[in-house]
Amino acid sequence: MTTSADKADTTTAPSAGPPERKPGSAQPMKAVIGVVGIVITIAVVGTAFQAMNIYDVPRIMQAVVAIIAGVGGAGLLFYFINQLVEALPLRLSLKVIPYAFLLPAFGLLVAFLIYPTVQTIIYSFANDTSTEFVGFDNYTYVFGDEEFRRAIVNTLLWLAIVPASTVVIGLAVAVLADKLAPTAEKVAKSLIFLPMAISMVGAATIWRFVYAFEPEGETQIGLLNAVWTTLGFDPVSWLQTSTLNFNDVLLMVILIWLQAGFAMVLLSAAIKGVPEDTLEAARIDGANERKIFFQVVVPQIRGTIIAVFITVLLMVLKVFDIVYVITNGNFETNVIAVLFVQQIFQFGENGRASAIVVLLLLAVLPALFWQVRHFREEEANR
Amino acid sequence: MKRNRRAALGAVLAAAMLTSGCLQSSDDNGGDGGDGGDGGTTGAGGSDPNDGVVEIFGAFTGAEQEAFNEALVAFEEESGIDIAYTGNADFTTFVRSRVQGGQPPDIALFPQPGLLLDLAAQDNMVPIDEYLDRGTLDETLIPGFLDATTDEEGTTWGAPMRMAVKSLVWVPKGYAEEGYSLEPATVQELNDIATEIKDSGTAPWCLGYESGAATGWVGTDWIEEMMLRLHGPEVYDQWVSHEIPFDSPEVQEAFEAYGEIALTDGNVQGGGQAIVSNPFGEAGNPSFENPPKCYLHRQGNFATGFFPEDVQGDLDGSVDVMYFPAYEGGYDGNPVLGGGDLAALFNGEDDDSKEVLEWLTSDEFGAEWAQAGGWLSPHATFDGSNYPDETTRRVAEIASEADVFRFDASDLMPAEVGAGTFWTGMVDWTTGRKSTEEVTADIESSWPSG
Repeated sequence: MTTSADKADTTTAPSAGPPERKPGSAQPMKAVIGVVGIVITIAVVGTAFQAMNIYDVPRIMQAVVAIIAGVGGAGLLFYFINQLVEALPLRLSLKVIPYAFLLPAFGLLVAFLIYPTVQTIIYSFANDTSTEFVGFDNYTYVFGDEEFRRAIVNTLLWLAIVPASTVVIGLAVAVLADKLAPTAEKVAKSLIFLPMAISMVGAATIWRFVYAFEPEGETQIGLLNAVWTTLGFDPVSWLQTSTLNFNDVLLMVILIWLQAGFAMVLLSAAIKGVPEDTLEAARIDGANERKIFFQVVVPQIRGTIIAVFITVLLMVLKVFDIVYVITNGNFETNVIAVLFVQQIFQFGENGRASAIVVLLLLAVLPALFWQVRHFREEEANR
Repeated sequence: MKRNRRAALGAVLAAAMLTSGCLQSSDDNGGDGGDGGDGGTTGAGGSDPNDGVVEIFGAFTGAEQEAFNEALVAFEEESGIDIAYTGNADFTTFVRSRVQGGQPPDIALFPQPGLLLDLAAQDNMVPIDEYLDRGTLDETLIPGFLDATTDEEGTTWGAPMRMAVKSLVWVPKGYAEEGYSLEPATVQELNDIATEIKDSGTAPWCLGYESGAATGWVGTDWIEEMMLRLHGPEVYDQWVSHEIPFDSPEVQEAFEAYGEIALTDGNVQGGGQAIVSNPFGEAGNPSFENPPKCYLHRQGNFATGFFPEDVQGDLDGSVDVMYFPAYEGGYDGNPVLGGGDLAALFNGEDDDSKEVLEWLTSDEFGAEWAQAGGWLSPHATFDGSNYPDETTRRVAEIASEADVFRFDASDLMPAEVGAGTFWTGMVDWTTGRKSTEEVTADIESSWPSG
């Protein structure tokens, strides 16, 4: 369609005379309408929101106005942008139109994602109130800080343990549940999936009680210590046991508990999507169940496994709630996100906090690229 | 295609660079609040001037918030000013983000003078001399309060509207009945009593640090008590303002003196690990069991609010309160460690706010709150008959009899230390993760240089 129009245009254009309006030449009137329309739309919608900010409008009215002005405004905006683009000569118009429609979304992306990112990078080179540049001082401080190095080590440990465990446990449950009778499978899966519905803070509070510690001789209200003392051992202050990062692992268990259900649901769907005939073929060839699983099923659900893995990986990089609620980084359990919150909100150190998130951003980037690349490969294979 | 992508990336970066202003300017008043703030004076934040509404932020919530609102009713009716109080347990985070976002309240009630001075240094506030009468305050206030809100240049930025007294030891009635003294003259005498109790088979001290994100502050209070008693207010002030380093011998002595109480075997049930995981609010409860599982509970006057309900119902009949005494061979005098909520004005253009503040910080305010309990007036001239029971009157008496009153040091230190490494340091030290030398050196190195 595009090419034929292009051709038609190129062939007719040289001979076209000025007096007659050809479809494909510029239309100044339409352009004016477009520009004026865009300006008016932005002005009207902007004023509406500003007015709601100034006058005490009831909540429900605010919501109604926001929806009408927001959706309607967006529709009008695109309509006038379209007018403006159509006013251009056809060849140009066809080239410009995708960009024109991307522009508003792109503008929002710049305003709310890229602008803050760049600003944060700039602040990471400035002092605690972001008023003066201090060069690399924040980075020197951050790297020289024992607490930060500990947070890095802990975050790496989280990365090494949680995503892999989540996938393995999710996969195991998915495979085992697949062998159950339909009703039993539903019940088992529901139970595993249940924690997904609990917020991070809620889960952290629940597990605080599991790990709770009372001195010897008192009633142990913590589940773990209750079991432990019943078995005849002395109560242990689990969350303070930092030998071999044991308490870190206890915190990781919480996230694995939360996320295993998510992994299971996706992996289970993928396993059910594995064509039955490939399994049968393998069986006929004499492969045992273990071989079938590792050499026939797993390669076919590799894409889902990687997707789950990366999703959990990104979540782990940002892990905050669990550590904040349970130990607040005490007992050598600090992680990067908690350290950041402590620096910016408790200590008011904008510079150091920015430096920490910039480093976190750098750490997330490879995982993001990997995910995007993997996504592209998947698309290409389709 | 490749080239296009690179060009697009370049455009994005260029756009971002252009749109992000480099840094915030430091010369103008950072807190030009919601209404433009071109009034010329600093502190033009908050709601619109003279609109009859005064917005107050504070750290206390729940029952305390109710009692505060109760105490406001009569004033609101009389003056016609509507006071909107917002309490937030995460006050530090909340008020900082609101002020930095250009939306400060009219008045904020700071539980920590450190944060108050920090925000004052960013030119967000109005000095009290512009709306309060210093002479009257000096006459009625317990001496020492305004020092806490005065910056290095001598400007005072806030005035107290509530007092907390920390140098108190709570004991169950059984303590006196078993013949232990309610008036030990020195810490050493108190230690002897503790040893006696321990020998009778009970851990003498009730002690707990756990306080969520603020775990450890109870420990810092202990170190402050010891600093004040061992070395007196002058060294204490030098310690607070970092004129002596945190790892100086004086501070280490204070740690050791506290360690003798908290970490001596058998003094606290379960030792260091139990101290750290025991919620501070519940720490005193075992002393009300029969027989008591611990006797001595050093905690501020607010501890009563955490006591079991039956104890709260009959405070005078259930507990005795005594003064945490001086240290023999240390400072010659009876110091009291305390704290308080400090009111500061953000909206210098609102006369209603000034009127509210003047009343909040006077000895007239708080009769209703005092009756509700859990509140002490920072004014020595406050009418003690308003307090609901003998116990509270006794606490107020201890405060007004003190030779010297000092504000909680961790509240005065920079937040990195006072709400950061000092807290976590106490946790590490109490659980035996770090020695006195290590922990004091670590805190010293975390002190901001700027």
